Amino acid sequence: MSQELIKLIDLSRCTACRGCQIACKQWNELPASRTKNTGSYQNPPDLQWNTWTLIRFQEHEDQSGNVKWLFRKDGCMHCTDAGCVKVCPTEALYHTEFGNVSLNVDKCIGCKACMYACPFGVPKFNAATNKIYKCDLCYTRLQGNQLPACVLSCPTGALQIGPKDIMLTKAYKRAKALGGDASVYGDKFVDGTHVVYVLPEKADVYDHLPQDPKIPLQIIVWKEFLKPAGLMVAGAVVAGAFLHYITHGPKMPEEEITSEGGDKS
Amino acid sequence: MKKGMIKATRPFERVVHWCLALSCFLLCITGMSTMYHSLNFIGAVIGGMANLRMLHHYGGLFFGASLLVAIGIFWKDAGRFSSKEDWPWIKEAGGFLWHVDDIPEVGKYNPGQKMFFWVVALGGAAMLASGLIMWFPLSFSKQLVRTMYVVHSLGFLIIFAFIFVHLYLVTIGAPGSAPAMFTGWVTRGWMKKQHPKWLKEMEENGTLEVYGGKGSNKISSS
Repeated sequence: MSQELIKLIDLSRCTACRGCQIACKQWNELPASRTKNTGSYQNPPDLQWNTWTLIRFQEHEDQSGNVKWLFRKDGCMHCTDAGCVKVCPTEALYHTEFGNVSLNVDKCIGCKACMYACPFGVPKFNAATNKIYKCDLCYTRLQGNQLPACVLSCPTGALQIGPKDIMLTKAYKRAKALGGDASVYGDKFVDGTHVVYVLPEKADVYDHLPQDPKIPLQIIVWKEFLKPAGLMVAGAVVAGAFLHYITHGPKMPEEEITSEGGDKS
Repeated sequence: MKKGMIKATRPFERVVHWCLALSCFLLCITGMSTMYHSLNFIGAVIGGMANLRMLHHYGGLFFGASLLVAIGIFWKDAGRFSSKEDWPWIKEAGGFLWHVDDIPEVGKYNPGQKMFFWVVALGGAAMLASGLIMWFPLSFSKQLVRTMYVVHSLGFLIIFAFIFVHLYLVTIGAPGSAPAMFTGWVTRGWMKKQHPKWLKEMEENGTLEVYGGKGSNKISSS
């Protein structure tokens, strides 16, 4: 099973049971954190170093004044053009044979650059270990031909995983069947994510869901332009100095025998 | 040192120069080792990339302190341009790029060196400020931190390129310059070629120190 996979999240089937959130913690041995009641079932309030997937609870009022409860499983989108992989100085973040973005925690040096390169705000920092953590799509389970813990736990079929083309076909078929504002989210940006949503509502209705996610411009300038230019400009200077030496020549001191004629002027 | 050589720098100036130069070298090596994956192996030498990152941070603090002292001591002679004196030299590029019969004479530092001073001062300060924000990014806004990555890598591009200009000039580009930063003594021939006006000023002020000489009075009278 070494082919590009996509995890499909069909939000129209999500009941916010949060089985995936717990299964993720259990499989990855992530401890719980003490939280406060913020007036929402959403708990913890955001992704954390020890909460790699989170069901967001959102009360949404549509145009006719009806209130709907929207659920969204948030977490790493496993981008093809992944900002985190682009900036990671030690290759701790890397693409696997399945297309997902995995993390070798031993290599992480806690520079936090990935936190600023990710368009989805996924990598989270743990000050106690000075390292970054995020979902790796249960890479070791995929290697063992097992489903990711979240997919395995999902009782409604909202979570599925499979070959990229099959999952995308399924996603579009499902969005069409739902009709209305339903759409597919994920395949159209950052060269396609390996987590794809079927959204029953318009994408801009969902909290914390970027409408046009892309790697920030500064990150592109840094890694695509200045990084190679740093070496090229230095190389050009060395070549220029050599050319200067063989064409114009050095600025030689005036001929003078300093040992004897030092005090002559 | 040979008899008749001229004292160009004070020991304190040389110490500050080498604090700045060696910490800059360390920062370039450790910085490049995090920028380019193929240089990650340098981290292994000191027990991993996390140690290398710390070395870069504390090396940066040392560099920043050295930079402040360097700006303090070189500001007076290298920090200020004088259009009357510097402009003729700039128009001829100091005789470095094409043939110039009579290179316009300038004081202790020529405009090229003054430009170098400003690149190091401003570039160094930008590296220090952006580096500190990158070290503690969680205290700042996302857009600011992202912009600092650009500032830091652009600063590296400029400073790294300047290092090679500097190295070229003090070795084969203008032979006789390097001793100014090692022993502090240079030859009179070098002084007459590179800093004729400075030499005259020192002779006139009686501040010229000649190795093995009996004092500046004798020099200025000859």
